[in-house]
Amino acid sequence: MPGRSSQEREALARQNAAIMAVFERAGFDHIAPDIIQPADIFLERSGEDIRARTFVFNDPDGNELCLRPDLTVPACRYHLSHAGDPARETRYCYLGPAFRFPDELLSPQEFHQAGVEWFGGTDPVGAEARVIKLTISALEAAGLSRLQVMLGDLGLFNALLADMPMPDRWRRRLRHQFWRPAAFRALLEHFAKPAQAKRTSISENVDAVAGNDAMAATAARLAQLAIPRVTDRSIGEIAERLVEKQADRSEQPLPAAMIETIEAYLAMEGVLADIPAKLAGLSGTEKFAGARAWFERRIAALEDQGLNPRRMQFNANFGRDLEYYTGLVFQVEVEARNAPLVVAGGGRYDDLLRDLGAPSRIPAVGCAIHAERVKAVLP
Amino acid sequence: MKTLTLGIPSKGRLMEATAELFARAGHAVERNGTDRGYRGTLQGWPGIEVAFLSASEIASQLRAGKIDLGVTGEDVLRENIAPQDSGIRIVQRLGFGPANVVVAVPCCWLDVAAMADLDEVAEQFYRNHGYRLRVATKYRNLTRRFFAEKGVSGYRIVESAGATEGAPAAGSAELIVDITTTGATLSANQLKILDDGLILESCAVLACRTAAAQGAAPLAEKLRTALSA
Repeated sequence: MPGRSSQEREALARQNAAIMAVFERAGFDHIAPDIIQPADIFLERSGEDIRARTFVFNDPDGNELCLRPDLTVPACRYHLSHAGDPARETRYCYLGPAFRFPDELLSPQEFHQAGVEWFGGTDPVGAEARVIKLTISALEAAGLSRLQVMLGDLGLFNALLADMPMPDRWRRRLRHQFWRPAAFRALLEHFAKPAQAKRTSISENVDAVAGNDAMAATAARLAQLAIPRVTDRSIGEIAERLVEKQADRSEQPLPAAMIETIEAYLAMEGVLADIPAKLAGLSGTEKFAGARAWFERRIAALEDQGLNPRRMQFNANFGRDLEYYTGLVFQVEVEARNAPLVVAGGGRYDDLLRDLGAPSRIPAVGCAIHAERVKAVLP
Repeated sequence: MKTLTLGIPSKGRLMEATAELFARAGHAVERNGTDRGYRGTLQGWPGIEVAFLSASEIASQLRAGKIDLGVTGEDVLRENIAPQDSGIRIVQRLGFGPANVVVAVPCCWLDVAAMADLDEVAEQFYRNHGYRLRVATKYRNLTRRFFAEKGVSGYRIVESAGATEGAPAAGSAELIVDITTTGATLSANQLKILDDGLILESCAVLACRTAAAQGAAPLAEKLRTALSA
């Protein structure tokens, strides 16, 4: 139904005021990032999948602008343009509209996000626990109860991979495909039997660089086939990948035990408090042991905030569709009429500020509450 | 019974083949002289009124409910109608106008055979050049769906109205998603189709709004008979 009556508007405003009061009392600076944003920042960072859901338009000069699809990037941009030293610890909160196509070819949707972003925190585990606690407190202040918290942790997965002996480029590819379960699975299967890879339309090109100076061999092959070079991709870039493909052929296969460990980890889910014991059963070595200790500190930090890890869930797969997170991911669900509804989500995204122009990597953790969903499940 | 409106391509090879098929089925398409030729009838089928439209208009007018049935390319239909849209269905593939929607990259990319390679190249390209791989296409939605399904991200689409195959050589895109029949135009432009780069085997189809499915069934049956004769 289009628009809001005065009663609906007032009810939403009252609920949002209660949420924001929690954030402000906790010392978060209430800012108002721009609604209209340069499109390329969203698009170049995330690619076409975000673009498909973003309302993009041109200004009279032909620049591509967009209505913000979320408030995290706008808050980061606000920080980078206002903070003297972007690495200094800063805590923001915000409330405002965001705009998305729910799906391609359907009409756009506007909704409100209330959230916090915490930049440059020096105690990562503590900041994460605090953000989760604040999210819960804000939702409770809005009138919700019986909240279910679900956690995932991309740091654990990266630590698990870091421990396994395999070429770095394999690790890089597995990390890159973590977000896409089908492609990830195909990659694992390929690494399990690299020598048995099928011949493809480029196998002869790979043969051509084998044992030769790759740059020269690539250039010679292009000349031999009389293929002109187009696009900005250089001979060096093409040669680099041919060399990698050639190296893959003679690589030791990823042992079955390692693949089992990866799969066992990805299948891990259950009550958060039970996870450390389950992690101990995985055959990780040094770094992963470090990540395990880190995870135990995380549980302690949550307890320090008065949260009960026996009443929270963990799922190793959780976060696989949320591309910019780098460590902790979490979401809060509430029982609704038919199925549980996700009313808030967040996590750690340590690369984003640097990607947007900060001179160094700056720790960042935040959350966003979907205001209309909260309203929908309130009694 | 309510009169149904059937959208038919207003010009080109698709129009000729459609007219030929309907004539073969015993219901020749006739233009009304009085409507400047934008309206017509099917001979011996009073329940159907014909509207002459461009192929892409047929898809969008089906979606908008302004026409009940339409003959158009499957590529145009799938581009303009979301897969989860149950309001429109294909009732009969007509066989003519065969063409494939494919992903094609420059032949000089000796290291790229498959969509999985493309995903790695997208990452390498962004790292080295600071901008995303650009895909020139008029099939924005088909491209997004297919790339997502194949796990390729980190690209962006540049809209191409015509001569898409020339975009990589002209420097306005790195690769293309386009329609091809023989692949000759692609090869002439030093482009190669990826091993798993077939997005859609398209041909002309008769589509209808689900609400008009009952009325469309006898027409589909007539066309089916004419096609198999």
